[in-house]
This record gives sequence, C-alpha cells and structure tokens, in this order.
Amino acid sequence: MRISGLIGASVLTLILSSGAFAQEASLDLVEPIAEYKIYVTEKVAKLVEDTTAFTAAVKAGEVDKAKALFAPTRLSYEAIEPIAELFSDLDVSIDSRADDYEKAEADPEFPGFHRIEYGLWEKNSTEGLAPVADKLLADVKELEGRIASLTFPPEKVVGGAAVLMEEVAATKISGEEDRYSHTDLWDFRGNFDGARKIVELVRPLIADKEADFLKTVDANFDTVDTTLLKYKDGEGYVTYDKLTEDDRKVLAAAVNTLAEDLSTLRGKLGLD
Amino acid sequence: MVDPKDHRRSAHVLDRRRLLAGLGATAVGGSLAGTARSETMHHSVADAPVANAASPLDSVPHLGVHQAGVVNARPANGMVASFDVLARDADELEALFRTLTARIAFLTVGGPVPVLDPKLPPADSGLLGPVVRPDNLTITLSLGASLFDDRPWLAPFKPKHLERMMRFPNDALDADLCHGDLSIQICANTQDTTIHALRDIIKASSRQMILKWKQEGNVPVITPGPDGRAESARNFLGFRDGSANPDSSDGAEMDRVVWVGQEEGEPAWAAGGSYQVVRIIRNFVERWDRTPFGEQERIMGRTKLTGAPLDRREGSEFDVPDYTRDPDGKATPMDAHIRLANARDEASKANIILRRPFNYSNGVTRSGQLDQGLLFICYQADLQRGFVTVQRKLNGEPLEEYIKPVGGGFFFTLPGIRDAADYVGSSLIAAARGA
Repeated sequence: MRISGLIGASVLTLILSSGAFAQEASLDLVEPIAEYKIYVTEKVAKLVEDTTAFTAAVKAGEVDKAKALFAPTRLSYEAIEPIAELFSDLDVSIDSRADDYEKAEADPEFPGFHRIEYGLWEKNSTEGLAPVADKLLADVKELEGRIASLTFPPEKVVGGAAVLMEEVAATKISGEEDRYSHTDLWDFRGNFDGARKIVELVRPLIADKEADFLKTVDANFDTVDTTLLKYKDGEGYVTYDKLTEDDRKVLAAAVNTLAEDLSTLRGKLGLD
Repeated sequence: MVDPKDHRRSAHVLDRRRLLAGLGATAVGGSLAGTARSETMHHSVADAPVANAASPLDSVPHLGVHQAGVVNARPANGMVASFDVLARDADELEALFRTLTARIAFLTVGGPVPVLDPKLPPADSGLLGPVVRPDNLTITLSLGASLFDDRPWLAPFKPKHLERMMRFPNDALDADLCHGDLSIQICANTQDTTIHALRDIIKASSRQMILKWKQEGNVPVITPGPDGRAESARNFLGFRDGSANPDSSDGAEMDRVVWVGQEEGEPAWAAGGSYQVVRIIRNFVERWDRTPFGEQERIMGRTKLTGAPLDRREGSEFDVPDYTRDPDGKATPMDAHIRLANARDEASKANIILRRPFNYSNGVTRSGQLDQGLLFICYQADLQRGFVTVQRKLNGEPLEEYIKPVGGGFFFTLPGIRDAADYVGSSLIAAARGA
C-alpha cells in the first residue's frame, strides 16, 4: 500500500468521525482515497510543470509555442477538477470563462487560461498577457500547495466522478469551454480520465454487489473512448468543430447516462 | 381513475350546445335559415379551459386505439419537447418506447413516488410532492422523418407523407428550434405537472435520447358567463383561436380529419396514428398593438371582441361565414387569415385540420421587444392535404407582417397504447422486425 507519506493522519480521523451509519464503508475507502490523493498530487505537479512552460512561452511572445502548449497543459487540470473546485477562488481565477464577467472578453477582471486563450487565438498575440500569465502560474502553484495540505473528503472524492460528468453535460458538450481554440476534446479527455480513475479506485469495494452497475458504467466509458479515438491527432485531438453531429449525440448520451449512474456512487458506498 | 367532473363537463357541453343552437337560429333567421350552417354543435379541443374547474385528480386515459392528447380538450398548459434518438436497431428503439410507455403509465395515472435510501439521489424530482396526481396530464409521442431517414432498417416503414419540415416563404427558422427524431407533447392543468413529466422522462431516458429543443405554452382559462358557455381561448394577438376547429367529440369526423386509417400508401402499422405539425410562431406584438383595430379585424377576418365572422358581426365566433354572399371580399377581405385558411367550400373540407395551440411568452429579444407568440400544434390524417396545403394558401397573407415562424417540425403521432401489455410504437417495431 502506498498510503503512508501522502495521506495524513487527519484523513483517517475525518473518515472515522464521519458519522455512525457509514463507518464500515468509509474504512474501506481509506486506501482508494489515499490512492486518489497520489493521483491528484501527481497531476497537479504536472500542471505546475506544464503551466510554467506555457506561461514562459506567453511571456516570451512565442504565440505558436504557447498555442501548442495550451491544451496539453489544461489536461491535468481538467482531470482533477472535482478537487480543484474545492478552492473556488482559485477555480475562478484559473478556469473561469468570459461569460462569467459582465463585459465578457473586454472585462479587465477576466483572468486565467481562457483569457490567455482568447488573446492567443482571437488576437493571435500575447500582448498584455504577461501579468495574466504570472497570475496564472502563481495560482496554479498555490493550488498545488493547498492540495498538499488538504484532507480529501471521501464524499467529494467519490462524488467527483459524477461532478466531472455534470460539468461536461452542462457546459462542455456544446463546445463552449474552449471557444477560441476549439481544443474541447482534450478537456473531455481530462474529465473522462478523472472520472474513470475514481471509478477504478472504488471498483473493488462494489465489484460483487454492483456488477451490473459497473458493467453499464464501463460500457459508457468505452463508448466515450471509442468515439474520442476517432478524433485522435498525435498526442491530442483535432478541433471540436470536426466532431460530427452523430458523434456529438453519442457523447452527449454517454455523458448524461454516466452522470445519472455515477450520481449513485456515493450512496452505493454508504457515503452521505 | 374516474373524474367526478366528467359529468359536470358533459353537462356543460350540452348546455352550451342548446344555448348556442338557440342563439344561432335567432341570429340567422329568415331566408338565410336554409343555407346557414352553424358550428354550435361543436366540442372543440380549443375551447378555453374553464376557470376553477380543473382538479389535480382530472385524468385522461392513456390506453386506447389512439394516443391521448389529440382529441381530448386542451388543458391550460402544454409543451412540446423534441429529442434526438440514439437507437441503432429495433431492440434499442423498442427499449426506448417501453421506457417511455412505463413513464406515461405512471405519470398519467399517478401514485406515490418511490422512496429511496437518502444517500442516493431521489427517484423523483419531488415537484409534485410525495404523491403524483394525474392533473389531466397527457403525453403524446410522435416521430420525425430523421428517425427513419437515418436508419436504413427503419426507412422502409416511414409514413407516406412524413418529411422534414420545409421552409415556407415567411419562415425564419432557427436550427436550434427545429425538427428532431421524436417529439413529446405534454399537456396538463398546471405547468408544474408538465415540467415534472419532462424531467421524469429525461431522467428515465438519458441513455436513449437527448433533448434538442423545447417550447412551453399555455392558454387562458375563462370563467364561463352566466349561461355557462365555453368559448375559444384567445391568442396573443387578442383574437379567439380555434373557433372553426372540427368537432372533436365526433368520432367519425375525427376518423376522417385526424386519424390515419387504411389510406392508400400508408403502412399498415400507422393506422390509428396522425400527422403532427408543430410551429413556433413569433408574434410581433408591439407592432400589432400599434395597428388600427379595424385593420386587425380585416387581417384576421373576425371581430376582435367576440370572434364573430365579419359578415355577421352581431353573431358569435361559432357562426359560419358565408363567402358565397361576399364574392368580392367587401365584408371579409379575400386575403383575410380565416378566409384564406378555409374558404368554407366543398373543396376546402379536404384540408380541415385539428388545431391545438398554446400561447408562449419567453422573454425579451435583443431588440428589446417581447418574445411572444403561438406554439401552434395541429393534427391531421394527411399532412399534405392538411397543414401543408393550408399553409400554402396562407403564404403571402397580410398577417405575415406580424408573425414569424421560427421553429417546429413535422412528426408522425404513433398509434395508441392498446392495453396494459402493449407499448407505444409496438406496431412499428413489429413491422420493422418483419413480424
């Protein structure tokens, strides 16, 4: 077991004190949650590394290089969104969209990845982006620090699988997330990987009792994989506009169904 | 479930018929009596719902030769939701139809909602409380041409006249509000019931179909006068809408006008179904309200206050205009909406449709005008002879200055769910399997 080191004693304390009727299940969750913390920690380390290179390119005025690094850098963030979103101040400054601001793209408060995306693709320029890049890197490092000292709440971890699907279902399947770069399929990849990781970690706990459930969930993840595979391009994916209407429908139904099914995962594990 | 109000409602209709028959005779009288026809015997689906008469216990049977929600009286709230269907083969389509049938059977009959472990998401949205009551709910399923066209195994079974809604000259169709593989019309006394039903269906069918567009609407309920008569509801142009609808209590008339039978060229599985047309028709209400009263009446062909035809202004909305006595359009302009739509001659009888519209009010346009209009829904046994022909007659009408169709679609309403062992669409599935 790789529990020691990354899992704090506080995790155990929290789990043990999380209520009378879920104790048994929660004890079983100690290992999956420790594993998940390792996963998130590795992802956020990669995020810091990639964001360092990405923001350096932005500050150096290297538009093409920055564009090439944009989607792969975001991949790590998208995979750990359920945890990243626990820090709502950072989520806003790292990943909010123009719609969140009254003056949209023209709003001086519009920050983060999508502000840089807007400059790179819509203006084909890095002009004025240096302070945004500095802030983004600082925020990502801050996120890494906060995650390191975070006690992972079991219901947030397990519920995170559904949260990732809800994100895609509500505001991503339409292609509105990466509206300037159209790199949405990369984000999908990150979200699905993040959700599937959570399912894999808790699978042993429900494998016997919930075989049909897992079969359905696996089938939908497989549908997603098969569909996304058609759009693979090198290490990443082609732009969202290449997604056919038929495949968009297939993905939408798979996402909605995963959201429905995974919304029961917490309950199946006895988490309140 | 027996609706205790059914008796009262039937009594209403009878009173109304007697009363209007009497009025008609008085108003027409004399030499006209021989030629005058009256629509006073009609029981129209477009009668305004009677105020304070609706009960949460009202129920419409969901089993029968035909689906509910077509010839039964329109309640105060309605919506159409259009979906894209994922089914790749007959088994998957049957599974969808069975899922929907199960939801229809529960929602339209009502009952307690399942109680689950509180650690799980609830089985029901809870909008209607712990016990769902039928509230006059009907759920009507219809299929779009794309469902057939995109599936080679299903394409040979497409109803003869079903096609993708074409663009008419005054249309400004928004792709996000048009077409779809499957439409669901949901009607009920209250909006909460229609929304509850939609959310229930979406939750139950998430792996089988995805929502494409939706439009809700409602019709005003009217307090009957001291005489107890029911009137047609008014649309957002302020005119009565539905006065000339065929009599939906006349089974033979409905068989002729609404239901597909053994018509030439129609697949056998389609018998008992109907063609559904949905049109989201925006009304430019600010401009309409700035149009002279007399011009409004000439554009529609009816008096605004009572709905009486212009050639008998003292009559009622149920009086039938006599265009043979007005060949030059002096009373009713030749291009008035109701005259173009129905010339009231022998030939036009073939083009009668059953209208079942709702008014919608959505919000504000970018120009700062109200986004209001008509969720037009109609049913007919022959799409070409019905709506398409009527709309072609209306093309270029003066009313076009004030209306703009922006969405909708053509669909085929499936035959009814015959009994508790049947499911909606079973005849199509059997046909597709070659059974």
